[in-house]
Amino acid sequence: MSELSATVMNLPRRDAQDKLRGRTKYTNDRVRPDMLHAVLLRSTVSAGRIRKLDLSAALRCPGVRAVATGADAPGLYGIGIADHPLLAIDTIRYHGEPIAVVAAETEKQARAALAAIVLEIEPLAPVSTMAEALQPAARLVHEGWRGYEVITEGGARAGNIAWEAKSSRGDVDAAFARPDIRIVESSFTVGRQSHVPFEPRVAIGSWEDGRAHIQTSTQVPWTVRNVTGRVMQLAPGRVRVTVPPVGGGFGLKFDASIEPITALLARMTGRTVVLENTRQEEMATCLCRENAEIRIRSAVTAEGYIAGREAVVLMDCGAYGGEQVFLTTMTAHTLGGNYRVGATRLVSRAVYTNTPPNGAFRACNGVYNTFALERHTDEICDALGFDPMEFRKKNVLGDGDLGATGQVFEADVLGPMLDRMETLRASTGTSEAKADSRLYGIATTVGTWFVFVGPSAATVNLNADGSATLVTSGVEIGSGTMVQSLPQIVAGQLGLAPDQVIVREADTDAAGLDVGVGGGRTTVSIGAASIAACAEVREKLLRTAGEMLQTRPEDLVLRDGRVEITGRPGSGMSIPAVVAHAQATTGPITGSGAFAARNTPAMSGCAMGHFIDALDIPVFVVHEAEVAVDPDTGHVEVLAYRVVQDVGRALNPRAILGQIQGGVVQGLGYALHEEVTLTADGRIAQDDFETYRLPLAQDVVPVAADLYEGAPSMGPLGTKGAGEVPILAVGAAIGCAVARAIGKPVRQLPLTPPRVLRLLHEREPPPEFPHVAPGWALNTLG
Amino acid sequence: MVVTFQLNGEDCSFHGDPMTPLVDILRRERFLTGTKAVCREGFCGACTVHVDDEAVPSCLKPIGLVQGCAVTTIEGLSSGNQALHPLQANLEAADAVQCGMCCPGIVMSLSAFVRDNPHASRPEIKAAMVGNICRCTGYERIVDAVADCLDQARKAGQSVGGLHV
Ligand code: FES
Ligand code: FES
Repeated sequence: MSELSATVMNLPRRDAQDKLRGRTKYTNDRVRPDMLHAVLLRSTVSAGRIRKLDLSAALRCPGVRAVATGADAPGLYGIGIADHPLLAIDTIRYHGEPIAVVAAETEKQARAALAAIVLEIEPLAPVSTMAEALQPAARLVHEGWRGYEVITEGGARAGNIAWEAKSSRGDVDAAFARPDIRIVESSFTVGRQSHVPFEPRVAIGSWEDGRAHIQTSTQVPWTVRNVTGRVMQLAPGRVRVTVPPVGGGFGLKFDASIEPITALLARMTGRTVVLENTRQEEMATCLCRENAEIRIRSAVTAEGYIAGREAVVLMDCGAYGGEQVFLTTMTAHTLGGNYRVGATRLVSRAVYTNTPPNGAFRACNGVYNTFALERHTDEICDALGFDPMEFRKKNVLGDGDLGATGQVFEADVLGPMLDRMETLRASTGTSEAKADSRLYGIATTVGTWFVFVGPSAATVNLNADGSATLVTSGVEIGSGTMVQSLPQIVAGQLGLAPDQVIVREADTDAAGLDVGVGGGRTTVSIGAASIAACAEVREKLLRTAGEMLQTRPEDLVLRDGRVEITGRPGSGMSIPAVVAHAQATTGPITGSGAFAARNTPAMSGCAMGHFIDALDIPVFVVHEAEVAVDPDTGHVEVLAYRVVQDVGRALNPRAILGQIQGGVVQGLGYALHEEVTLTADGRIAQDDFETYRLPLAQDVVPVAADLYEGAPSMGPLGTKGAGEVPILAVGAAIGCAVARAIGKPVRQLPLTPPRVLRLLHEREPPPEFPHVAPGWALNTLG
Repeated sequence: MVVTFQLNGEDCSFHGDPMTPLVDILRRERFLTGTKAVCREGFCGACTVHVDDEAVPSCLKPIGLVQGCAVTTIEGLSSGNQALHPLQANLEAADAVQCGMCCPGIVMSLSAFVRDNPHASRPEIKAAMVGNICRCTGYERIVDAVADCLDQARKAGQSVGGLHV
């Protein structure tokens, strides 16, 4: 365990000083005067057919070097199904969809040329909502859906249902038919959430030695490489992606978007081309957390046993399938998580609409399914007269319990975490007194999430000055993984100080495959690959030192920059001396390592259309909120917030606490005031900072957090991802606390003051889903 | 039109449209990219600079209005190898940096605030941050850093950053 004591520490961020001095060069700080500027012609209707697209006048405009359309990059991309063109081809599917792009010497010239493009669109009646999309006679958003390449097999699809994932375990009909149960049914609806990273999506493309080189603000360099290859119909190896420090991602940059356009224009012009979304474009075409509709029914006995549960979850993917196709998988693990349930069946459907496509956002799908599940749990408690805390303690998943896909959970984690929350509350006290004359509510909720594992690669080069260079495709998006946990891990393995570990920025030409930074996976997946690389380095280092010291390698340890004989501190020799010897004799010391998911089994036949059948690394949270609701204004003040988070092993507790504070505050925005609505013509109405209400300093409270260590994890040194999950149960905790404060059921987020007032005065209609059939099976493609 | 002003202590002139936002001159012509253009509407504070010692959003400042003024950007606050401004040092010590895009603006806004409000309370610090948005950190550590900075100055019997601005 000595490597652990050398790894766990509150290492400060090495990038903090440059960031504070304004010296860090993000992608959008790298614009040079000799670059061409690209701007996009975007659709101003949400559905239509392109009847005419004449570029000739634009091409004659001053300063213009290229104009491109979908015909120049006709390949389709997507996750699960390739349904997405880079630039619209013939059909317009959402307001803001890019149709053509101009590259010119200046942005002004490019915009002038954009105005000279002749575009005629024959508008079509848009399919604006999931309710419309699911009508039997609905127009198809993708007429040619049958012809799309299916990248991942297994999901059911039909018409406007881009993807359907189902899980089914046990005899649910029998559970609901039991004489000793009561049935509780709840419906919930949630809107979209916009990420608003401070650096918008931006890319700089150049064409070098017959290959594309894209510098971009992304979380997924390999996806950008592969998508660029697809749409340009190039071998992906002809695309190089490098990633400067990223000014915030939160999942928005977990898919390729505008990057391939810069490569295309660079190839056409031979020049370096920059394309940066304006803030308006960024927000109007944000790949938001999707709006969703959830109906959930449970059969519960008088003793509080959940005998059966079924749910239908509709997820709006917008005009293209994107992440939602993948995220249908998550319902089984989020809505199907938290509690021990007898028999269960869940279906989630990604539905096409003529609205801007949605995407991934921190704890995707989990945030609203946890809200729905926890509010439903409180409705069960209300209906059957259970104490919500006792009900949770009795029913949370524990050792040996089955998940929705039949996965067997290991160890009691949520139960002890609920106890820890009570201890935490006892230490902080409660804040009811601060409510004054307002309505006070407190709620404790639980959540289940996971670490998105998947492939990662790492190389470690040991240098003659005793430093080590870590080469991976990891990206620093702000969470600190690349500047804290990874150098800590490598240093701990090699007996170095973390500042001796140089961390290379992602470059797909230098490092192996990685599925990207997201899903809380970097510390786990890249960390594990790094440990494997370090093992090879260690082995070479100890072998060389063993020869030099005439000692068996097994008797040597790495400590404080030295190779020492076990139990004899200060013996042996310095690492640089060994490296120098190796370089002169057997060659430089390098190691490489790889990691892949374990693919934990589900019960056979339980999971259909899932990208992940069972969770390799589940992650649990307990969140508790105290709120005061002003009955005159409907304003909700958060009085206190507490978190107990399952972290496996905290490598850098201070960094994790920073992620918890930040993640909870993003969740507060989602729960209370970050509202995205669509206009009648299919536009996102909130496309600037005036209309989209982000949390401000005065809205927030310091989060009291307790890191729960020791739950089983296949992650290196027992770690789990800690940066994604803090947002998971905020909507749930706030929704439940507000419901208790006002004594009315909360079935929709965000809880803006007008909505809270309507709830208080019973003028808020409960969500109704006429497009969800009464029988569960009728909501599936069979 | 020609506009002359001081930029980080040096004379500087601009030829062109006087309505051009200062942030564009800084970033596109002077390559002082520490000043961030995030919302361009005065809401986020990421573009904050000092104009004659006042913290202002440079996205809302037409270059014509800085005629004869002294402009200090984040690069000029503690340049070269100079020590960090005490507020920067406290932000670093509080582990208050994540993606970092808001940081230069926060430093420029709040360095003026701590200079002018040596006795500010925590709620006053939060109130002063209405024009500075951070999407990553959830604010509390930034507030901690400002409070620590004021504390240290009070203990040392000095005002914060008087030397720097
Ligand atoms: S960019 Fe100036 S305030 Fe946001
Ligand atoms: S650190 Fe990212 S916006 Fe503040």
